[in-house]
Amino acid sequence: MRTASATIAAALAAAAILMSCPPVDAAGTVKIGILWPLTGNAAAAGQASKAAAEVAADIVNNKHPELADLPLAATEGLPNQGGAKLELIFVDHQGNPSQAQQLATRLITQDAVHVLLGAYQSSCSFTATAVAERHGIPFMVGESAALNITGRGFKWVFRSTPIASDYAATYMRFFDDLKKEGKKIASIAVVNENTDYGTSVADSIEAAAKNNNIPVAIRIPYSASSTDVSAQVLQLKEKQPDVIIFISYTSDSILYMKTMKNLDYMPPMVIGDDTGFSDPSFIPAVADIAQGAMNRSAWDIGKPGSTTYKINEMYKAKTGRDLDDTSGRNMQGFLVLADALNRAGSTEPEKIRDALAKTDLKPEQLMMGYNGVKFDATGQNTLASTYLIQLKDKQYQLVWPEKAAATKLDWPMKGWKQ
Amino acid sequence: MKWSLPALAALLLFYPFILTGPFYWDIGVAFLLAAISASAWNIVGGYAGQVSVGHSMFFGVGAYTPLLFYHLWGLPPVAGVPAGMLVSLVLAVAIGMPTFRLQGHYFSMATIAVAELIRIFVGTWDLVGAAIGLQGPAVGRAWWDLTFRSELPYYYIFLAVLAVVLYTTFEVERSRFGYYLRAIKAGERAARSLGVPVRATKLKALMLSAVFTSVAGSLYSIKTGFIDPESGFGILVSVQMVIVAALGGAGTLFGPLIGALLLVPLQTATNTWFGGGGSGLTYILYGGIIVLLARYEPGGMHEWWQRVAPRLMRRSHAA
Amino acid sequence: MLLAQVIVGGLLLGAIYALFSSGLTLIWGMMNFINFAHGEFVMLGMYVALLVVVWLGGGPATFGFAAAFALFVLGVIVYASLIRHVMRGPMLAQILSTFGLALLLRYTAFWIFSANFVSLPQVSLSGTLNVGGILMPVPQLVAGVAAIALTLGLHLLLTRTTVGSQLLAVAEDRNAAMLMGIRPDRMQALAWGLAAGSAGIAGALMAVSYPWSPSVGETFGLTAFVVVTLGGFGSVPGAMYAGLIIGLIQALSAYWLGPIYKDIVVYALFAALLWLRPQGLMGKA
Repeated sequence: MRTASATIAAALAAAAILMSCPPVDAAGTVKIGILWPLTGNAAAAGQASKAAAEVAADIVNNKHPELADLPLAATEGLPNQGGAKLELIFVDHQGNPSQAQQLATRLITQDAVHVLLGAYQSSCSFTATAVAERHGIPFMVGESAALNITGRGFKWVFRSTPIASDYAATYMRFFDDLKKEGKKIASIAVVNENTDYGTSVADSIEAAAKNNNIPVAIRIPYSASSTDVSAQVLQLKEKQPDVIIFISYTSDSILYMKTMKNLDYMPPMVIGDDTGFSDPSFIPAVADIAQGAMNRSAWDIGKPGSTTYKINEMYKAKTGRDLDDTSGRNMQGFLVLADALNRAGSTEPEKIRDALAKTDLKPEQLMMGYNGVKFDATGQNTLASTYLIQLKDKQYQLVWPEKAAATKLDWPMKGWKQ
Repeated sequence: MKWSLPALAALLLFYPFILTGPFYWDIGVAFLLAAISASAWNIVGGYAGQVSVGHSMFFGVGAYTPLLFYHLWGLPPVAGVPAGMLVSLVLAVAIGMPTFRLQGHYFSMATIAVAELIRIFVGTWDLVGAAIGLQGPAVGRAWWDLTFRSELPYYYIFLAVLAVVLYTTFEVERSRFGYYLRAIKAGERAARSLGVPVRATKLKALMLSAVFTSVAGSLYSIKTGFIDPESGFGILVSVQMVIVAALGGAGTLFGPLIGALLLVPLQTATNTWFGGGGSGLTYILYGGIIVLLARYEPGGMHEWWQRVAPRLMRRSHAA
Repeated sequence: MLLAQVIVGGLLLGAIYALFSSGLTLIWGMMNFINFAHGEFVMLGMYVALLVVVWLGGGPATFGFAAAFALFVLGVIVYASLIRHVMRGPMLAQILSTFGLALLLRYTAFWIFSANFVSLPQVSLSGTLNVGGILMPVPQLVAGVAAIALTLGLHLLLTRTTVGSQLLAVAEDRNAAMLMGIRPDRMQALAWGLAAGSAGIAGALMAVSYPWSPSVGETFGLTAFVVVTLGGFGSVPGAMYAGLIIGLIQALSAYWLGPIYKDIVVYALFAALLWLRPQGLMGKA
């Protein structure tokens, strides 16, 4: 008993030392707490988004007259708050929802952030937004697909990005357009990785397909860490769908493309639901065998000299890679937050919340291809939308909707054939 | 040092008033949860020496049932806690009976495999939310939904549970059952030859451990308001229980508590220092600590102190 | 026809499972010790292959040997610095030691290489053979054949050479071996080296066809456990058959039941084995 208590006392001392890290405080700034997975399985996405957020902070905090379309780019800091600069506080929840909850609490109570942004994995967004709701601090979800993050009757949660049902609706509209042009869409297949991301989107697609009278020939949920997907590709080969929609992460997307080539199977079209297909390593790995593969993205680099092109250059200078859709959507979420913070003219939570609720950004003011930003009563951006792009050579080109298209859609996809 | 135990109890009781604010309370709650889970594991893993690395199966069951009761029938989550305990009990018997025939490493591996099996299965089962998981009530309908705005009520509920677990362990330690456990840990064959009912004892230890672990899981999901296959049944859940107990001293009453006291603030600290930098040093640190522990001080801090304390005492007395 | 394709694919992957599991079974048979970090050895082999290709521009033979050698050294170091000491300690320490090692290796790899999935740039092996309607990608085919050859090689090493019989002697009866003048410590270090080396080269072979990240070690580790249990601990031929069987079962389950269930089937089989026939196909009880 004696030694146990003594050990406890020593441990307590150690614990006290470990916990006494005073938070850094810079006066006259507006603090944004950002929760992302900076380590662990989704670290690549988290790190890319972090770089994007830093670029966005640079745009707002410093004068960038060349990006005049974007609100707050031309000025330094937030004009309506006396030029106050944005201060970013990043935390790493490691993909753990309990960690996300704890970190959100810390950001609010210890670091006194004025708003929150996050959190990539839907599981982490669920818990972190609940904390924000409880404490009455606005939370912007830049990218998390699960439907009811904004469906819980929360007042303080806003989401700028499209959600699973938006994507499903986009695909259905695309199929309708194709059918009008006389292309055959007799059945589709859905192949999804089986965590919350893949499952939410796949569920939405199945539901939308049913409403649109497009039979789903087969749905294949699989684990993203599979080593070998030959059996799945053979199942697909058997069913012969006209379009396969992949909701996959990076390595599995690449694996599927390679396996399909190995087993000599190419459907008329393959559509990737962002994520894996948008990862920087996808194109270099499979460009020569997956020509014509489609992807969805709300981000298009655009022509040299355009605002989006310049933003991409800034990001590329920082990271050496092009901006990807996921990070872009997070960056857009950040900019929407900044715009609302500016209009609020104060750091009071209620005022910020009201400013967010009144957000009305036009497409020209955005970097992403949304139809605008306007939040409904649940906090969801009703004008969120996405493009469809196609892999031609070593780049994705915008092919749908036609009015925004840079080039014509290649149908069927060429794959590895010339 | 007769006052040490009451002092400890007082410290735990008044901690939220010493270090105030939601941030410190949350750490306190995390500490208590880690201590409860590790103490639960300790019964079968520390005292009986059956190193299960699949205890997340019981934690997950305990975590899912409350939210399931809420999701399916709109009941307050706390109503699902007894159900979780019952299912865990059945699971313990189902797993324990065949698995305890295996020795040492084999047993550990079997526990990992079964836990993984359950995790993958739950991830495909729509009824329990499949991969997306389950959520609890976002805003409580009444006090019994246990959705508190402040961490304080959780802290005291968890503290009460910890007291129960520790007290039970204390009673076990002093009883004949505890004697059997220690005999089994020291050597099963010898124990059997002494007349110890090895199979039955191991099974009872697992059942007791499972029930407490299940409660820990329930506390977790009620507080977090969310559960999915990874946070309920993931291997890191099992590993954390083992590390916390081992760090403090497996097979001792206060070992898990000490381990939690060291590890939980460490986790928070490394996240603060390194987290934003995103270098993943936290887990490298864990791995390093565990390896060093295994290599140099398998008995944990408790044993280390046992060795070091007498020397310190002697020096202070000599002076 | 498609079924034949599924079977061939399963067997080719199973051959690689056989290779990296044979090392695990060797250690297990010799020392009654499970290496929870074995999957990480495979993962590191994959990264060694990557580094060799990127820095030295070598071909499959080069990076194969490099992976085997690098991991061999690592295996010996791990034995000498860690395993040797915990072997005589409590069970908890033994289990924690390689568990901690797994975490250390995995997260150090995350730190150095990041969590991005990587794959080898196109190497000399490419193309697909068409044999009677069954498509066999050349990289997988070469990897599978090489894996079987290496596993057989390991088996021959153990049964036909002096060193091999010394290893087996220590496995069978440590004290008797000592009396015969064999140094168990050295033999055990060698066993660890061989085990890690075969895991490393298996990783290199897989790197040719499949992308990976530091997270894949966990899955490979568990797969190796299942294979070793089925094959019987201590038996390299057992590991070979078991590897092929597991690869086959995985592929068939994925095809008939769906990919999610392939893991469930394998683990359920594992659980059943542990309960019904722990000694596996060819192991000693």
